[in-house]
Amino acid sequence: MFRHDSPEEAAFRSAARTWLEANLPMALRGRTNRPPPAELMPWYRTLSGKGWIAPHWPKEYGGMGATLNEQIIMAEELARVGAPQLPAQGLNHIGPILIEFGTAAQKAKHLPPIIAGEVIWAQGYSEPGAGSDLASLATRATLAGDRFTVQGQKIWTTWGHHSHWMFALVRTDPRAEPRHAGISFLLLDLHSPGVTIRPIRTIAGDDEFSEVFFDNVAVPAENLVGKLNDGWRIANALLGHERLGTSNPQFALIALERIKTMARATGVLADPGFRDRLAAASIGVTALLALFNHAVELTNLQRSLGPDASIIKIYGTELLQSLNDLLLEAAGSDAAMANPVATNFGEVDVSTPFLQVRRATIYGGSSEIQRNIVARRVLNLPQ
Amino acid sequence: MELHLTSEQTLLRDSAAKFSAAAGPQVARAWRGREPNFAPERLREAGELGWLGMLVPSAADGLGLGLTELALVLEQAGRGLVCEPIGLAAIAAAALAQGRAPHPMLQRAMRGEALVVPAMQESAHGGDPLAPATRAADNGRTPRLTGTKVSVCAGGAAGFLISAAGPDGPALYYVPRDAPGVHVAAAPTVEGRKLATLTLEAAPADIVPPRRSSRSAVEALTDLALVALSAELLGVMQGAQELTFAYLRIRKQFGKPIGSFQALQHKAVDIYIKTETTRSLLYQIAAANDPYRIDPELAVAVKAKASEDALAVTQACIQLHGAIGFTDEHDIGLYLKRAMLLSSLFGNAAAQRRRYAGIAGLAM
Repeated sequence: MFRHDSPEEAAFRSAARTWLEANLPMALRGRTNRPPPAELMPWYRTLSGKGWIAPHWPKEYGGMGATLNEQIIMAEELARVGAPQLPAQGLNHIGPILIEFGTAAQKAKHLPPIIAGEVIWAQGYSEPGAGSDLASLATRATLAGDRFTVQGQKIWTTWGHHSHWMFALVRTDPRAEPRHAGISFLLLDLHSPGVTIRPIRTIAGDDEFSEVFFDNVAVPAENLVGKLNDGWRIANALLGHERLGTSNPQFALIALERIKTMARATGVLADPGFRDRLAAASIGVTALLALFNHAVELTNLQRSLGPDASIIKIYGTELLQSLNDLLLEAAGSDAAMANPVATNFGEVDVSTPFLQVRRATIYGGSSEIQRNIVARRVLNLPQ
Repeated sequence: MELHLTSEQTLLRDSAAKFSAAAGPQVARAWRGREPNFAPERLREAGELGWLGMLVPSAADGLGLGLTELALVLEQAGRGLVCEPIGLAAIAAAALAQGRAPHPMLQRAMRGEALVVPAMQESAHGGDPLAPATRAADNGRTPRLTGTKVSVCAGGAAGFLISAAGPDGPALYYVPRDAPGVHVAAAPTVEGRKLATLTLEAAPADIVPPRRSSRSAVEALTDLALVALSAELLGVMQGAQELTFAYLRIRKQFGKPIGSFQALQHKAVDIYIKTETTRSLLYQIAAANDPYRIDPELAVAVKAKASEDALAVTQACIQLHGAIGFTDEHDIGLYLKRAMLLSSLFGNAAAQRRRYAGIAGLAM
């Protein structure tokens, strides 16, 4: 709508589309819950074999070294074919962090298994007492000789019970002021003695996350990323990128199509009141596409979005929720059905996407925390 | 978020900001209720700066610029509550220039010596701008128009660009204000300028042919008007936001600046998000569309969003000011009133959404 592919990009898009259509198993298309590893990881490894698993990683680490535009084309084509979301903690979080901050040994050990789909990573940031107030985290890592001893608990760990490794923020200086100055960034082997993992079922019915307990877990000192007590900076260094990734307008476009299908099937599209709300939501999606494209342009010009990335997250995720409100409305008395609803235009899953998007305004910094960030760091309102 | 502009575009924006800084709420306040409610010499100044002919192709002595440049100037006009109708004049000039031979009014319109404004709307709810009920009878050489146009910014206008159903479908016509059969009845708005109902009884008119690349002259001017009004609405949001955020930093209650309270901070962020999303939408559309052939789905979308958001933003700004914001003496109310007027013209947000549903295929 706002961006046009160059001839090279168009060729890349066409190649991606053809290959994805031919290679993505039908059973994995259009899933509203993330499939479990036994189903998902073979597809991960197929993409990896093609060399397309990490468009945004440099070639020397097994990535495609793709431009931002090519990355977006890839995301668009994956969404178009209905591809399931891959586990992102390795590809989008610890991978780029190690590429930026890791030692040669850390890169050599950890990056190839991420590309190959052999090791699944979990993010260990949130704790029962440290959600929005992440800097108050209490999981202790005590350094003695050449090892840390880790004691504490992480929670809301996406795919924790399917993961082999965790990158975690741990407290290494309990007396540091401000509190985030006493936090380090540590890599933990989840098969170590003393680690206990329990899945947590979500309101959407899947067990996407888990809680992870550390009882005197020994961690080699070489698993420290960056310097001691410099973990906060490392964890935040790549957040802007994450927000651009999680606000990809493709999810909103998919949600919009789902509503249109359901609204045609139930006939509610003939209702002027519903149509007005749908028009408003659809215009919102167009605005999100524009906002995203604007952000991509600035990023391509090497201008950091800085804290403005927060408004993309707020707008994108709140829009996604209002779209799913409309899906519920369109479905009428089928809104609460647990299974996909059969319509003249095919099956439409209503309750799962509606429930799934509750998380969008909570994870990665809730909408309220994002507003605090914008108020202070963009609008410079007083403390 | 900052815009990615060329150095020429940055210069243009700075020059528009300077023009706008010479206006501002004080000046807008002084013009309230006067007819016309702007300074003709300032309109000529805008003409001398090239702004009124900015979309006019260089072959017709214009600057031949695009929608981005138009938006940059009009955003500043909205931000400074400029009263001179730069946007309406500039899009009218673009329309006058589009035929194989420009209309004779073009030169004066472009220089700001004669104000030409569009008169396209026929009902309070916008209706279908591409299916005007005004008729153009073509008996002999001179078309004669009969019909009624509403919500026309007629103050100071020497002539009108009128959409009418002609022998070959909807077409655009130029009618001088003093032509026989033209009756103008103006009524005041809260914003300060008057809006007129235009009654045409067999008024003699010139047809304004479309540019070859446009679908029709009526559609081209309608879409251009929607984008122009959206740009000015964005500026109104921007100006209101600046005034309000400054107030949040200085006004103290409970011993602290009120901008330190989270409830107010979050309201401020919502204002900022509405402004920035409208900005991205407007400028992405501007960069991707030719002024004479704007994607109608996008033109309608941005006017819907800008109209809705400008009203929401200026209302929230009044709320954040508290009681002082409800006084006539305080400037913030002027922004709300400008938003009330501009959001209503050429179809308000709801009217745009009705058109959008049809254009974007949101129908059974």
